[in-house]
Amino acid sequence: MEALCEFQVLSPTSLAGVLEARTAHPQAQLLGGGTDLVVNIRRGIVAPAVLIDMTGVAELRAIRADAQGLEIGASVRLAEVAQHPGVVAHYPVVAEAAASIAGPTHRNMGTVGGNLCLDTRCIFYNQSQWWRSANNHCLKTTGEICHVAPKSRGVCFATFSGDLAPALMTLDAEVDIQHAAGKRTLPLRDLYIGHARHDGSGQGDGKHYLALQPGEFIAAVRVTSTPGLRSGYDKIRIRRSIEYPVAGVAVALRRVGDTLAHLRVAVTGTNPRPVLLEGTEALCGGALDARVFKGLDELVRDQIMSMKTTFTPGHYRRRVAGVLARRLVQRLFAG
Amino acid sequence: MTEIAPAHTIGGYVPMVDGPDKVSGRAKYTADFIAPGMLAGRIYRSPHAHAEIIAVDVSEAVKLPGVLAVVTGADCDKPFGVLPIARNEYPLARGKVRYKGEPVAAVAAIDEATADKAIRLIKMKVRELPAYFKAAEALAPDAAQLHERKPGNIERDVLFELGNVAEGFTSAHLVREATYNCAEVCQNQMEMHAAIADYDAVRDRLTVHASTQVPYYVHLMLAQVIGLDMSRIRVVKPFVGGGFGCRTECLNVELIAALLARRIGGTVRLAINREDTFITHRGRPETDIRLKIGLTKTGRITAVECECTQRGGAHSGYGVVTILYSGSMLYAIYDLNNVKYIGKRVLTNTPPCGAFRGHGTVDVRFAFESLLDQMAAEMGLDPLAVRRANLLEAPTFTDNDLMVNSYGLPECIDWVEQKSGWKSRKGRLGKGKGLGFACSHYISGASKPVNWTGEPHATVKLKLDFDGSIVVLTGAAEIGQGSSTVLVQTVAEVMGLDISRVRIVSGDSEVVPKDNGSYSSRVTFLVGNAAIDAASKLKALMVAAAARKLDAAPGDIECLGETYRAGAQDKGLTFEEVVAEALKDDGTITVTGNYSTIPESHGGKKYRGAAIGGTMGYSYSAQVVEVTVDEETGAVTVDKVWVAHDCGKALNRLTVEGQVQGSVWMGMGQAMSEEVGYHDGLLLTANMLDYRVPTIQDSPPIEVGIIESNDPHGPFGAKEAGEGSLAAFLPALTNAIADATGLRFNTLPVTPDRVFDAIDKRGRTSKTRNGGA
Repeated sequence: MEALCEFQVLSPTSLAGVLEARTAHPQAQLLGGGTDLVVNIRRGIVAPAVLIDMTGVAELRAIRADAQGLEIGASVRLAEVAQHPGVVAHYPVVAEAAASIAGPTHRNMGTVGGNLCLDTRCIFYNQSQWWRSANNHCLKTTGEICHVAPKSRGVCFATFSGDLAPALMTLDAEVDIQHAAGKRTLPLRDLYIGHARHDGSGQGDGKHYLALQPGEFIAAVRVTSTPGLRSGYDKIRIRRSIEYPVAGVAVALRRVGDTLAHLRVAVTGTNPRPVLLEGTEALCGGALDARVFKGLDELVRDQIMSMKTTFTPGHYRRRVAGVLARRLVQRLFAG
Repeated sequence: MTEIAPAHTIGGYVPMVDGPDKVSGRAKYTADFIAPGMLAGRIYRSPHAHAEIIAVDVSEAVKLPGVLAVVTGADCDKPFGVLPIARNEYPLARGKVRYKGEPVAAVAAIDEATADKAIRLIKMKVRELPAYFKAAEALAPDAAQLHERKPGNIERDVLFELGNVAEGFTSAHLVREATYNCAEVCQNQMEMHAAIADYDAVRDRLTVHASTQVPYYVHLMLAQVIGLDMSRIRVVKPFVGGGFGCRTECLNVELIAALLARRIGGTVRLAINREDTFITHRGRPETDIRLKIGLTKTGRITAVECECTQRGGAHSGYGVVTILYSGSMLYAIYDLNNVKYIGKRVLTNTPPCGAFRGHGTVDVRFAFESLLDQMAAEMGLDPLAVRRANLLEAPTFTDNDLMVNSYGLPECIDWVEQKSGWKSRKGRLGKGKGLGFACSHYISGASKPVNWTGEPHATVKLKLDFDGSIVVLTGAAEIGQGSSTVLVQTVAEVMGLDISRVRIVSGDSEVVPKDNGSYSSRVTFLVGNAAIDAASKLKALMVAAAARKLDAAPGDIECLGETYRAGAQDKGLTFEEVVAEALKDDGTITVTGNYSTIPESHGGKKYRGAAIGGTMGYSYSAQVVEVTVDEETGAVTVDKVWVAHDCGKALNRLTVEGQVQGSVWMGMGQAMSEEVGYHDGLLLTANMLDYRVPTIQDSPPIEVGIIESNDPHGPFGAKEAGEGSLAAFLPALTNAIADATGLRFNTLPVTPDRVFDAIDKRGRTSKTRNGGA
């Protein structure tokens, strides 16, 4: 095994304790289950001197899920979300997404906050120090180019692969962001800024993928229930466990009679951000027919941009995302 | 009154004798042998794929406090390699580096963090050379040479034609040719490589604990490379967490640990991580195959032409043997008469490949069984009937002089046909579902070991002492496959004793007799026979002692395990009483059992290297795989596998079933998801996430049928059980996919994106065709 770098772990038990620790150690990194961060530390990708363990913070461990709404604290374990009767009953897309993350041991350790802030991934980035150095590093670390797209002009294409984000985005979730001076609330979709635009119009990419300011962290995620909403999550993996999504799709829709009244689709594992498809409302208002499927497929093709960030080819990830989206819509519409 | 009878376990379900240590966590693996004052070893690896070394600057590393030794290629000019004819690798590169990740220098320091730091201070100055990551590139006429004595970057080419291939094809009703590509795969065994070397400078002795399948070969290489007399070396093989062939040769890990230990006169622990274990490699090479088969109307094979090219990596390793197996093992499964084989083992700037489970046979078998299936379909023949039209009749010798004495393939085919409901279900499963069939075979140990010494092929010693326990002393390496259990069972069976009376010590050169190790499925057959020989001798001594005590003739003594008696009316003697009598004159008893293969099994001389493939007995396997293909996502689900394996005689049904299931499962990994990828020669998939070994979630129900053909030479009739069922899975899967979709996949692994692309391409082609019509 690689020797882990030396670090100190602080384990505050209250929100006040977290804020205090952050003030004392502004460079500290937050630690949830560690299923992603510890691997990155071992690979020498990051070397934090101080880790703040968030899993014991009382205020961040609550979960409330009923017919009115859903609120999950950032330190709630993924396994708990997957099994929570209220989540399963009222917010199936969230339960399904949580249940599909990695393997059972990862879900027992991993947290909601950790999964929402999951570092973006790339086959040129998630490698050892020796490997990255032999490959001249990359944009996301200390290098000059993106090996995925060498002509990217400073844009990093590392992929966001969290499963919870797309699920919650289809429910129009918002996140509570805590900082030393208080709290602010943001629509979850605005948390993710990895648009990776070439024209310089957006600052976000695979390297800068979260709208969090220094010192800020996610305290909770919240959903207000929409009556009659049906939702579900599905993903493609090469093997059925211990995998990041090759492509993951969340769908929430409402059916009124034979009419598709409301549709939201979000995709993960493809872009530097989870993508809530824009333009789905134009597909609503009529029957679930070929027009809807054709339109949906076009939205996926236009907005999903999977690059060579995984061993599985990008074109496949994009195409299969479209297949999953259509199937989910069909399944949910049928009831 | 209970009848006194000898105990039996052979043929039963016997839990592994070392199981309790493993499940309780008591078992100690190499990296666990932490010694006081032990230093941490670390390897500096080349970031260059092919380069001339101008300088390796270790001056800064040496100065770092806590660093006790730094060694480089300058410290060892003795090459190593498992084959005496192909030793061209140095523990630490000299003159040139030939792949990214090749060890260049190594450090011993007070702890891992210091060793890590020191590694980062090492600088290497090189002159880059052109690098070749594909066999075809390395074979190009103007390619730079990797090794001085290997022109054209060919490690070994093989060419033979037995019979008349041209005539064979002329007489065929149907001749088809196809090409196949199998990705490089790694064993990815649970335990990462580790070695702990302890050099005692006062007594000039070296002890090495190593995670190896071949402690004897490690011993030989340590002596040669470190320059110590063999008598000054002790090699200990503790519990080993799997090998599957990547540890069937001495690795640089053991040698580097020893070099460091010798330098400092102390103990060095070199436990490498998962990435470095992948880079150390010795997996199955990427293989390109061009195969041509001729069939008569009834499916008789008239001729075979096979061209096989392997990307062997930067050094020789087992390469010569692998490329020979790929040719010789075309035989011994079907009755073939006209065969031409063109094999090329190519040197490339990738990590060296080795002997992966099913050594040399798997990729060629994939191609062969795929093409047979395709041709059967084209001719409207049942794929099983095509195999049945080509069966051998044992005993026989093949055209390349391989000795086949027992042949349970027909029964294997019958079993899977019946169990899978082949006749009634094939072709009737509905859209997206399919059944596929294929066969495979493997050797039970090479009849001629790579290091030919003239000694018996296998030697086992038994010790019987005052306490009435029997200790089996063997060099056979238990690596998780069950060799210790089978040897304990074997000795107990001959003696008629419960296995609890028998203990085993394996893998410590200070105590046990030499053994070639655990590879090519040799232990059960060869060491098992030696164990029978030893136990028979011990039993004879016990019978003689009982005869003395009972004042009877030895021929009248009945051995019932715990009781020895001279006739049914005799109360007899207890085992302990006989032991006391047996020990009277000379004290502790040791006996030696031996086994040597018979010359008829040594393969032939019809072409250079024709001995490779020779064995005392071949195992056979037939498989039916049932799949569901999601044509929209390309995802393939294996719903069920029926596998029948002819292991001669199942000595332990529990471990035979486990080994057969494990083979199927490993074949499934290679067929569906495992692939070693490179980016400019950097191993891209050197971790458990990107190198996709199937999980238990992906594992289908596997129904195992044990076929017992009772080999006349096998111990109790047994042959190998641990490798032969791997190869058949691959073609059975792709044949099933062909049945489900009509598409043939000749490139492995069959990942969902490949299936998706093929279906997509077919869709577009048919649209174009329709549009154009």
